[in-house]
Amino acid sequence: MKATLGEKWFYGLNYVILTLAALSCLLPILNIFALSFSDSNSILNGSVNIWPKGFNLEAYETLISGTPIVRAFMNSLLITVAGVAFSLLFTILAAYPLSRRGFTGRRVLTLMIVFTMLFNGGLIPNYLVVNGLGLVNTYWALWLPALVSAFNMMIMKNYFENLPDEIEEAARMDGCGEIRLILRIVLPLSLPMLATIALFYAVYFWNAFLQVMIYIQDTRLLNMTVLVQNMIRSQSMMQFINNVQPEDMQAIAPESVKSAGIVVMIIPLMLVYPFLQKYFVKGVMIGAVKG
Amino acid sequence: MQHVSTLRRWQRQVRRDRWLYLMLLPGVIYFLIYKYLPMWGVVISFQNYSPGLGLFQSEWVGLKHFERLFSEPTFWMLFRNTILLSVYQLIFFFPIPIVLALMLNELTQQAFKRFVQTVIYIPHFVSWVVIAGISYLFLTPEGGFVNELLGLLGQDKVNFLMSTEWFRTLQVTQVIWKEAGWGTIIFLAALAGVDTQLYEAARIDGANRWRQLWHITLPALRSTIVILFILRMGDIMEQGVEHILLLLNAVNREVGEVFDTYVYTVGLLQGNFSYSAAVGLFKSLVGLILVVAANYLAKKSGEEGVF
Repeated sequence: MKATLGEKWFYGLNYVILTLAALSCLLPILNIFALSFSDSNSILNGSVNIWPKGFNLEAYETLISGTPIVRAFMNSLLITVAGVAFSLLFTILAAYPLSRRGFTGRRVLTLMIVFTMLFNGGLIPNYLVVNGLGLVNTYWALWLPALVSAFNMMIMKNYFENLPDEIEEAARMDGCGEIRLILRIVLPLSLPMLATIALFYAVYFWNAFLQVMIYIQDTRLLNMTVLVQNMIRSQSMMQFINNVQPEDMQAIAPESVKSAGIVVMIIPLMLVYPFLQKYFVKGVMIGAVKG
Repeated sequence: MQHVSTLRRWQRQVRRDRWLYLMLLPGVIYFLIYKYLPMWGVVISFQNYSPGLGLFQSEWVGLKHFERLFSEPTFWMLFRNTILLSVYQLIFFFPIPIVLALMLNELTQQAFKRFVQTVIYIPHFVSWVVIAGISYLFLTPEGGFVNELLGLLGQDKVNFLMSTEWFRTLQVTQVIWKEAGWGTIIFLAALAGVDTQLYEAARIDGANRWRQLWHITLPALRSTIVILFILRMGDIMEQGVEHILLLLNAVNREVGEVFDTYVYTVGLLQGNFSYSAAVGLFKSLVGLILVVAANYLAKKSGEEGVF
């Protein structure tokens, strides 16, 4: 098949547009990285693009010495690691029985769960429940209301349903019980899906912002999102940063410190993303939307 | 006799699956407490709820809060702001993942395709706080990149973040940046399922690229598009509350305040639980009606529908 002139134009344009789309996602992030490592002169005269100018680590030193960023980072880490562990465990526990054929009540219970995706009580009744259970000002207020995401559970249930029956039958023939079947066969076969769901939950907990604003008042418990947001909103960095001398502040551009905060927020994502992204491309998402 | 044996079989089944029921128990309790209890909690919309008195002793006031909502000028502002943002997203955001997926599908160089996919999925995982932060650094009139550029071109500086005209553009642009790439996944999965023999047959019949797109590719995507459209209908009264809260300020509130942010401000910050619960209930009900109606219409015109 020889490409016609029109087709050549089409392919050329296709490459150009997709390259631009990819760059539009990448460049803002690279720019933030560059700003966080640049000196204040280069930032003020606007010469920083995607490569740091006048490389230095002042912004990060300021963040660590002048803001509670280390504590906020550890808090975010705790919220995320424990949140993923709880949610993944209880989502598996709910999805597996509902994926078994011939399980009495399967249809009704699935419908009951799907309905929560279409209708919910809303912010205020949810708040009253969490408040009534005495969870406010603890991380349980973040973990428990997000224990099982209906959407993630449906992805998992569909994935379990599509595992080949033959392997399961063979295992049962060999006298394999339900618990061993899950631990030895179903879960190992589902690793790509489990990695994807774990990533979804991790992103949810790492990025938690509104929930923290609503439920956590104790400043020692605040996480990265709230800290970075307060930093970006504050008019002058001087208000925000403690124990930094005014003459030191001359050398650091506020943009640089704000960028550094953003970088610290997205670094964990950048570290795990390359390992997990290959999983969610195919197979996992399809069937997810079908209720 | 028939009846008894059915009961027996059922009992036997439940006994066989007792471990499965035990596994399912925490999940069921979770959904009852954190999803169904709040649904029942919407009754406070019909009360003058006071935390001291609780759900059972608070005074019943019928539809008072709904009457107040519909008679206030705020209602029309919220309604207009919410619907306009949704309509803009339907027009400017909804088609983009479809087009991007079709373009990615045409790529023959697998390495390039994987690279583009990898990169355009990233923004989906980035927090709204980070996106608001990046937007601030780009758009601020004090040395932001965009305003520096405007200055170089001899234009006046624009305070995008503190403006009523730019609010909707900014909101929709951020949604596109964050979700357009991720949105392609579901369409790419549907495209991967298309039988390649169809294209060969069409080529032999002399169909050019556009006709192949029209007669093979788009029909393959139709049910996915319909499903996503139906789900979108359910979200028409909803905007990401976190996203909007991060964009709102004193200047743009008249174009930016939507139902969800109003519930947050009036309910949680000002403590009007009953009134804001009524606003929330109204919003959820409209969403539910829209998604059911869209599903019904889709099924009626021969599509699969969501449920």
